Amino acid sequence: MGIKGLTKLLADNAPNGMKEHTFESYFGRKIAIDASMSIYQFLIVVGRTGSEMLTNEAGEITSHLQGMFSRTIRLLEAGIKPLYVFDGKPPDLKKEELAKRLSKRVGATEDLAQAIETGDKADIEKYSKRTVKVTRQHNEDCKRLLRLMGVPVIEAPSEAEAECASLCKNGNVYAVASEDMDSLTFGAPRFLRHLMDPSSKKVPVMEFEIGKILEELDLTMDQFIDLGILCGCDYCESIKGIGGQTALKLIRQHGSIENILENINKERYVIPENWPYQDARCLFKEPLVSPLEDLPEVKWASPDEEGLSTFLVKENGFNQDRVTKAIEKIKAAKNKSSQARLESFFKPVVTTATPIKRKLYTAC
Amino acid sequence: MLEFRLVQGSLLKKVMEAIKDLVTDANFECSSTGFSLQAMDSSHVALVALLLRSEGFEHYRCDRNLSMGMNLNNMSKMLKCAGNDDIITIKADDGGDIVTFMFESPSQDKISDFEMKLMDISSEQLGIPESEYQSIVRMPAAEFQRICKDLSSIGDTVIISVTKEGVKFSTRGDIGSANIVCRQNTSVDKPEEATVIEMKEPVSLTFALRYMNSFTKATPLSNSVSLSMSSDLPLVVEYKIADMGYLRFYLAPKIEDEEEQS
Repeated sequence: MGIKGLTKLLADNAPNGMKEHTFESYFGRKIAIDASMSIYQFLIVVGRTGSEMLTNEAGEITSHLQGMFSRTIRLLEAGIKPLYVFDGKPPDLKKEELAKRLSKRVGATEDLAQAIETGDKADIEKYSKRTVKVTRQHNEDCKRLLRLMGVPVIEAPSEAEAECASLCKNGNVYAVASEDMDSLTFGAPRFLRHLMDPSSKKVPVMEFEIGKILEELDLTMDQFIDLGILCGCDYCESIKGIGGQTALKLIRQHGSIENILENINKERYVIPENWPYQDARCLFKEPLVSPLEDLPEVKWASPDEEGLSTFLVKENGFNQDRVTKAIEKIKAAKNKSSQARLESFFKPVVTTATPIKRKLYTAC
Repeated sequence: MLEFRLVQGSLLKKVMEAIKDLVTDANFECSSTGFSLQAMDSSHVALVALLLRSEGFEHYRCDRNLSMGMNLNNMSKMLKCAGNDDIITIKADDGGDIVTFMFESPSQDKISDFEMKLMDISSEQLGIPESEYQSIVRMPAAEFQRICKDLSSIGDTVIISVTKEGVKFSTRGDIGSANIVCRQNTSVDKPEEATVIEMKEPVSLTFALRYMNSFTKATPLSNSVSLSMSSDLPLVVEYKIADMGYLRFYLAPKIEDEEEQS
């Protein structure tokens, strides 16, 4: 998923483009969240032991609702304004990747059945993780839940990451939150990872700034996209034998995939036949997103208490007390007056003093 | 190269204790006129501005403007090793990546050298224009510290309102509410015990007590504190450092209406 090995490549080559921040420091910020990615994580993490998942009385899975409900409340309590973006129709280029994932899942399902038979716990854990799939129903459930909570939902025409990136570029949101590094190749100016991790993990939010990354890598956005394609993305194969470091070296040396193909040793590296890298590049550069003028006004409204109660308690077997308490939390979070930031009063300036020594010091 | 010698070494220790919990890393800017620092907390709600003018040092040499990136916790660890009466000298070379703190005991029988690695910190600096404030309150620093501490046991935020009658600090929480009014009082023996209210216009602003409490860690630096407020500006909490400069804290207010951020 996403771009292979990009996080490490950036950590090694553009450490100043990524910075850790505390979860709390994003108060008051509007953040576009890649919903499908979050739902997938919830299905894997929330309340699952082996192949057993959280379910309601009818036996339908509710992990995604539990996860979405509690994590969204956590965001709201921190004063963050989440805006969830759901995937639309996948681009044609992704079909191959999706087919691959499907066949992997089928394989894993068989392995899981076998593991259950032999009772190997480690294997059950391993394969049940791999069989997790986000269905249309999961998505619809979450949309309904979010709307009841008063949290805005946007349905992307195609890829959610692309839509998030476009919202961020346009200044509708402060940043994009996903675990998928694709967001960067889609050009999200500010991209956050680990925002949706459970608080118990205590992982700081990792913030990537594409401007700083490009500056430090000394690449243009087009070259960065080419780098992403070479590393391996969801939309086409990559060249065997070329990993992140080599890809970066080649891009720096030749400037574009076209030039690399002309100069590369074709004996050593096998270029995939009919390699659709140009289509992939096109998809990153001009993805299908909602036209900006058509964007509905996003609003964070009061929760629909009765609706939530009906949906979560009656239909999905949630504990009434817990839901009532959670609704109180949402309401309390809404009533809190918001904290202003100093930047709204004072403007940044450039300092003139020279540092004693420009020394790279990275915490990570 | 640069070299500053500060006879009142404890002053530097107090400054570090006052700011190290608010900001983790900061660039110290050194120029021929003095030693200064500006840094924001990680959420960009509060800002620390420190100025120590060159005249306040026994010896001050700075050949060209330099910026030294330091981790404040580490710096505080080093300065804790200095005795309260010690003379502190700070030294650094132009090309080096370390700063040296030298502590001399008053009787000159013990001299310690501590070297600390400098860091490269890319911090955003804000331009803070000189402004006329609608109200300025000067009061004993210990009194202000007590008020912040007391109120934070009741609520999370404080509303500071300045009127002709005086300055009112109020809060509200789950267990109840609290109001503290301080009136102008200049008939005291020592000038630093006075409460002086200069009001051009009445003003009322809301702030997070968490930050205010953190600012009051600077109380040992000065007997009095001043609060400058305008309805369209952050609060300024200033502790004057005798003969040398100041330690100022800026705090963005809490606002009722949702503001549009891009």
